[in-house]
Amino acid sequence: MIEKYSILSPDFERDAPRELMLLSIISQSFFQPFSLEDNLLVILTALTSGSGVGFNRAMLFLKQGDRLRGEMWLGPRSAEEAGLIWEVLSTPGIGYVEIVEHNRALVSKNEDTLSARLKGLVYAADDENALIPAYAACRKEILLVSGASSEPLVDRRFLNLIGVEQFLCIPLLARDDVVGEIILDNAITRTPITPADIKLAGICGLLAGNYIYSSTLHRKLLDVEKMAAMGEMAMFVTHQLRNPIVAIGGFTDQLLKPDVADDKKLRNLTIIRDEIRRLEDIIYQMGHFLKVSLKEPVYFDPGPVLSGVLDSPDIQNKAHGYVLNVKLDPCLPDILCDPTSFGEVVRNLLDNAFDATPAGGAVSVRGYRKNPTAFVVSVRDTGRGLTNPDKEQLFQPFFTTKEKGMGLGLPFTKRVMDTCGGKIEVQSRVGRGALFKLIFLCREREMP
Amino acid sequence: MKKKILVVEDERTLCLLYEEELSKEGYDITAVTDAEAALAKLAQGSFDLIITDIRMPGKNGIELITQIMGLRKDIPIIINSAYQSYKEDFMTWAADAYVVKSSSLDELKSKIKQLLGD
Repeated sequence: MIEKYSILSPDFERDAPRELMLLSIISQSFFQPFSLEDNLLVILTALTSGSGVGFNRAMLFLKQGDRLRGEMWLGPRSAEEAGLIWEVLSTPGIGYVEIVEHNRALVSKNEDTLSARLKGLVYAADDENALIPAYAACRKEILLVSGASSEPLVDRRFLNLIGVEQFLCIPLLARDDVVGEIILDNAITRTPITPADIKLAGICGLLAGNYIYSSTLHRKLLDVEKMAAMGEMAMFVTHQLRNPIVAIGGFTDQLLKPDVADDKKLRNLTIIRDEIRRLEDIIYQMGHFLKVSLKEPVYFDPGPVLSGVLDSPDIQNKAHGYVLNVKLDPCLPDILCDPTSFGEVVRNLLDNAFDATPAGGAVSVRGYRKNPTAFVVSVRDTGRGLTNPDKEQLFQPFFTTKEKGMGLGLPFTKRVMDTCGGKIEVQSRVGRGALFKLIFLCREREMP
Repeated sequence: MKKKILVVEDERTLCLLYEEELSKEGYDITAVTDAEAALAKLAQGSFDLIITDIRMPGKNGIELITQIMGLRKDIPIIINSAYQSYKEDFMTWAADAYVVKSSSLDELKSKIKQLLGD
């Protein structure tokens, strides 16, 4: 008998030992399609909630260059608030995504003075004589500080900020480098920090440190890729812009000559206007592709967005003369993506399908649930199909099989799918059309 | 007798512009929008000069030049590209001149005159 289990469980096992649950939550941060900040807040939640290690509050310092900076804080400001916040991990069926949503709401509500003051705390990251809390990061040692007000090694500004006598400093290490530090305390319950808590928090520190390190590396890699793409783009833009400019300049020169016939004037002006529109289109597409960041993914109902795209005048115009088949599951789940980007990528696939298909051909759109956590939107065309070399290059910026395409639509689509933790698949054979599948993470819709 | 020039340019508006402007200079212009059509025209008749773009759908300008060199080494070729950077590609050195596309056709016209000995 073979039994299968999901590596990333959509919800956490309520009966699991708290240590296992905590490690499970933190380990998932490596794989989640959320920002570094979102994932770090989940780690802090895991450390502070009633079901986690059980600390009341957590502060995070991150190393930036040679400085250690106060970055974020999570925890209640009072005993009343504590009950509300700690509920999050006690809710049945809670999963990683729900914690992210909970934290986003909490942070937007709680942009309080404590966070602002924390961000004002900056220490040298490699100072032999550093005061606590930076001392722990500089020496790469876990420190449990008790009787803080009578301890001269504790920085007074920091002590004024946290206002507790006992706290724990966990340096965040990755490959023997310090990437940050977490400070934990029990400001609300005043429970003493136990050796077992310290051990578990230490392991969490190692995981969190490696998560921060790998995220930073990933970000640097993306920057390098972006720079390479920018070089390619500069070359491509030169070509794309120069052709219309040559036409505009050349036909304008003709107009400036004496005795130009009226029909030629009209023709040249039409060419000039069309080329200017082409330039505008190029600039719009480039700007769109270069958008610095995509919005954070959220769970939403894809039905209205899909209908909006399918019924939009431009898609309806394009569909004229084609057979457009649409088949959506009657009950769609919520999917994880930015709704605007979702509409754009579906529109993009439809545009491509119509462009690739000869008039009279068919384009089919399907929306169906592949399994409990995956929802597929597929677009199939009956066009000329793709060769294997074409398939390999489809997602490279500026690669296009269209006469007038810029080759930015599918790279943008891939970027959107990467950002929301989904993926894009393509199946095609020459002469047999193409099938593009967008696979999104999904979950049952919450009843209002 | 008018000298015959073959223009290979995938942009139809630019084909039209070159056709009109170079005809005014007294040349007999044949304009085509891809390399295959250019090879077909070359097989049909003789030309005194070829002007070709580089980045075109299908066979690109460099592949076209390579093929022309195998057929007719005597026809001068001008590369007319929107890209400055192809100048560094040694495959383009086989051409007799490299003119970056510009809204003024003066440089192109002057290279044509120079190569045709006008």
